[in-house]
Amino acid sequence: MKKILYSAFYSFNEIKNSKIFYSFLIFALILISGSYFVSQTSFIDQGRIMVDFSIFAISIFNIFIGIFIGSSIIYDDIEKKSIFLNLTKPIKRSYYLGGRILGLILAIIMSTFIMTIIFYAVLLIMRKYVSPVYFGGMSLEIMPQSIFVQSFFIIIESSFIAIIAILFSLITSKALASIFTIIILFIGEVSSRLNALVKPIKIISDGKLIIENHASPVTIFIVHLLYTVLPNFSIFNISAETSYKISIPSDIIFYRFIYGLSYSGLLFIIALVIFNKKDIT
Amino acid sequence: MIEINNITKYFRVGFLGTKKNAVDKLSLFINEGEVTGFFGPNGAGKSTTIKMIVGLIKPSSGNIKINGYNALDYKSRNRLGFLPENPAFSRGLKGIDIIKYYSKILNIKNGNSDTERVLNMTGIYYARNTQIHKYSKGMTQRLALAAALLGDPDILIFDEPLSGLDPIGRKEFKDIILHLKEKKKTIFFSSHILADSKELCDRIAVLVNGKLLKNDSLPSLEKEANNFYEKIDDSAALEYKNPLENYLYSLMINNNNNK
Ligand SMILES: Nc1ncnc2c1ncn2[C@@H]1O[C@H](COP(=O)(O)OP(=O)(O)OP(=O)(O)O)[C@@H](O)[C@H]1O
Ligand SMILES: [Mg+2]
Repeated sequence: MKKILYSAFYSFNEIKNSKIFYSFLIFALILISGSYFVSQTSFIDQGRIMVDFSIFAISIFNIFIGIFIGSSIIYDDIEKKSIFLNLTKPIKRSYYLGGRILGLILAIIMSTFIMTIIFYAVLLIMRKYVSPVYFGGMSLEIMPQSIFVQSFFIIIESSFIAIIAILFSLITSKALASIFTIIILFIGEVSSRLNALVKPIKIISDGKLIIENHASPVTIFIVHLLYTVLPNFSIFNISAETSYKISIPSDIIFYRFIYGLSYSGLLFIIALVIFNKKDIT
Repeated sequence: MIEINNITKYFRVGFLGTKKNAVDKLSLFINEGEVTGFFGPNGAGKSTTIKMIVGLIKPSSGNIKINGYNALDYKSRNRLGFLPENPAFSRGLKGIDIIKYYSKILNIKNGNSDTERVLNMTGIYYARNTQIHKYSKGMTQRLALAAALLGDPDILIFDEPLSGLDPIGRKEFKDIILHLKEKKKTIFFSSHILADSKELCDRIAVLVNGKLLKNDSLPSLEKEANNFYEKIDDSAALEYKNPLENYLYSLMINNNNNK
């Protein structure tokens, strides 16, 4: 069991030193600090623009890390044949795969953490969205709870997406794996809205309740299917709550975490079955 | 002791996915404490066989046992070192990071002294703090050999260990193999050049077109070659000076035609 941790740290170091990870991290940091200047040009609610913009940047760049590093972390290892030395040591394939994924999740946690810290620093400078919390005689300016929760959700969502990308990269090419993952991500973001759109409408006329379907049964079926089968990523987006500093109840945090965890766990098992059968040539 | 029991491996090729045998009903026992050379032309199936031994590829039929464990079980690699053909490492790490990682995976007790030992033995110690993507081909080969020798394994599988090395490197690698031979390690290595590695072998196995044509001790194969040499008439233009080389060359030529 220790081997899976060694493998995770090894992968983490590899990712940490990779150009793509660096670039994403640097670019996000520029955007977050730059959002300070953007918000200066606005007359209304500078803080909110700043928060919306930065959270968008943090989330999109971590999702990118999940998609692009996820689709290459095992694919490239096989393609460049560096996996040969790895897998021919006495280590189970599941440990190798688990280690790779854990290493990537560690990288996502690190990048989200760094980005959130920079974001916090910018908020402190602007004196927006931070409020003092008193510890005895000391006071500390702290961000609203929803921003912490949002960062946590970004980690869950990006890791989830990384596993999808890894799964695809085991059965197709790197480029196709990225494209498929982006499609799944897109559908997962909009499926709940689509589902709401095709819902039958209830009308009361002449004192009677009439249920009217506006969409064709086939469309409804497809939308329902997508909504239930594909992951629903919109639950990890709480931008409304972060803008208005609304705290997220702990049961919601817990359920969404469990949703992400169990769905990713299932995908990991599928990936493992494929990987175990795979000829590494 | 490695037992290869009647393994066949086919790959699906082309649009229709027709089966093509890369290795065909191969049975081979690799004896303990011996050096076995595995010779054959390009595309004979040497690397495919070796990848099945180290568990990277599943045989389509048949099985391989290493010290009693199936080759697909990771435990079969507890005392096994493998040097792949054209080894490569992932970018972004230093040589020493990679060796240290493998040393941990292998659960080596005195890790530091062992990593130093293998790095010195393969002559790459000086570059241990260099990033791996700055290594030359020969340096990568040396680091990969160091990784294979970690933990002083009893079984060593080398796929084309001498390819890509300069004459000095070849000599050093051969000396390492000779040294391992003295320590009574079980060594199985592939090559398509007989001349530069014959003297290392106790036993020679010849694979052509996925089929095992020979598996004999070096002396008995040499005797066979000498008989063959006497039979052919002198006017025939010989490709090689040495009878054994000529014999294997003709074996390869004659069996490769039916492709
Ligand atoms: N992944 C693969 N898919 C399809 N065919 C393959 C695959 N790997 C190997 N082959 C085929 O199997 C045969 C044996 O290949 P292999 O690499 O084992 O040869 P080799 O003896 O190692 O040759 P060389 O001396 O050139 O390294 C070749 O015909 C090759 O084309
Ligand atoms: Mg080969």
